[in-house]
Amino acid sequence: MEPTLSQYLLVSGALFAIGLLGVIVRRNLLIIYMSLELMLNAANVALVAMSRFNEKAETALDGQVMVFFIITVAAAEVSVGLALIVALYRKRQTTDVADLATMKL
Amino acid sequence: MGDQLEFIQLEVMVVALGLLVLLADLFLSESARRSLGYLAAGSLGLVFLLSFRGGYTSLVDGEAFGGIYRLDGLALFFKRFFLLTAIFVLVFAVDFASRLRSGVSEYLAFILFALSGMMFAGSANDFSLLFVAIELITVTFYILVSFQRHRMQSLEAGVKYLILGAVSSAFLVYGIALVFGEAGSLKFDAIRDAHARLLQNKVFLFGMLFVFAGLAFKISAFPFQIWAPDVYQGAPTPTTTFLAVGSKAAGFVLLIRLFGSVVPELTEQWTGMLIVVAALTILYGNLCALPQRNLKRLLAYSGIANAGYLLMGIVAQSDNGTAAILYYLVGYLFTLVAAFMIINLVTREGEGEDISCLAGLNKRSPFLAVALTLCAVSLAGIPPLAGFFGKFLLVKSVAAEAFGNTGYFALLAVAVFGVVVSIYYYFGIIRTIYWSKDTLDNSPVAIAWPTRMVLGLCVAAILYLGILPDKPINWANAATKIETK
Repeated sequence: MEPTLSQYLLVSGALFAIGLLGVIVRRNLLIIYMSLELMLNAANVALVAMSRFNEKAETALDGQVMVFFIITVAAAEVSVGLALIVALYRKRQTTDVADLATMKL
Repeated sequence: MGDQLEFIQLEVMVVALGLLVLLADLFLSESARRSLGYLAAGSLGLVFLLSFRGGYTSLVDGEAFGGIYRLDGLALFFKRFFLLTAIFVLVFAVDFASRLRSGVSEYLAFILFALSGMMFAGSANDFSLLFVAIELITVTFYILVSFQRHRMQSLEAGVKYLILGAVSSAFLVYGIALVFGEAGSLKFDAIRDAHARLLQNKVFLFGMLFVFAGLAFKISAFPFQIWAPDVYQGAPTPTTTFLAVGSKAAGFVLLIRLFGSVVPELTEQWTGMLIVVAALTILYGNLCALPQRNLKRLLAYSGIANAGYLLMGIVAQSDNGTAAILYYLVGYLFTLVAAFMIINLVTREGEGEDISCLAGLNKRSPFLAVALTLCAVSLAGIPPLAGFFGKFLLVKSVAAEAFGNTGYFALLAVAVFGVVVSIYYYFGIIRTIYWSKDTLDNSPVAIAWPTRMVLGLCVAAILYLGILPDKPINWANAATKIETK
């Protein structure tokens, strides 16, 4: 049985929701960062599925190409983000977001 | 291929300049590196002048790379706007160099890379270029914000911007995926043709809503403004300036293109939502600014309020509204650059930016006192300065469409209320400059000549835009005649 577009989108929507929930609920910066990656990959799943089920032949591959851009950009984002988290850890010996509250009102 | 590259010549020059700055860093001595910023600013000035060259302006209204990249009046206007912003920020960065402690040349190079992202954003005519340009800006800003690694505040601001920025990118990307699925293409031209039949399509509407959320984050519109105060306060001041002017303008050029020319019927359908967002942004920014003592934080909240005023131009959904946004942004550029430069000059590292550091500024440096007063008066929207005329044009563009729509009148009432509230906190700044008794420090302020030049230029521009607005309005109007082929 061939999976349908809506099944793919369901998976992608679930991934996005889990990622968003992780960002909101978790307190550790690294776990939050993992959840963010999940959200980006949810979009990738959606794009590839949409591309696969696209009827217009001439733009059908646009979605797949977009996925490569997203993967590349996400890699850049991760390298910068992890460097930042390491710098923060060196300074404070913590990766808990609750400790990020020196600026108030 | 060669004729395609002609379209992106300005961007190529900016990126090449960034790489050259990085290379030059290897061969220069510590003292020569300081002037590298002035050199880069001068080169950008040259690029700015090149954008007026006939060979380049004759390309206007052309497209390149299969319609992904579009060079029109709007794009050209914003490219020049971003170049001007970056020139000022580079001069500012040299002033700030001693507080960065390390990697001054890298800081300059990242400013240039972010600038190239902004210039690409101005020309984006396809969701893939929009995404890559926005990410180029955002990822570079993660680094620029957290550049003072020895300061906890800077790191904290960087991490906050990183997490919230990445969430907004995820929303943007997911929105793009949904829009692609329904419209069948990432190209703005194809979406323009397809969107009329998709106005009731829930997936498409969700997608556009997510895209709007991603862009609203960039301009710090309610309810995506949470990051702004902390990041503005913690970031190095030149970064704050670039973030407040350049990054915000990049968000607006994309909003104008997307919601003004690509999906105008959807914008009409969403008028109510846009009115609510604009009104809440104005209220939130102005009311939260009232109790602030930290100058950078104060300007962050004022920046949120200003995003609300600028959104009025989108709400108006007319060429006049777009022209008003452009005019307002130019005034905002000069005002904020001058204000942040002065704040940087009068504060010392490690002492914070409490408003009390302005006390006695009229004795320490009458020039800075007058310039900052003009900035505050302009931001408050009092005639005859740039801020007043910009607000007037925005209000006028909404009022022109208001008949038969009570929401528009409510928005106008909120805008006027916001201006009245803002007068209170802007005059708090002026009061501290001239009438505060508790002066801690009476030493005169030393100003380097390029900084003095930029400040003089900003003051002149604020006065010019306010007193003789005819010519700038014509430029803004000319830039909005974009429309589709």
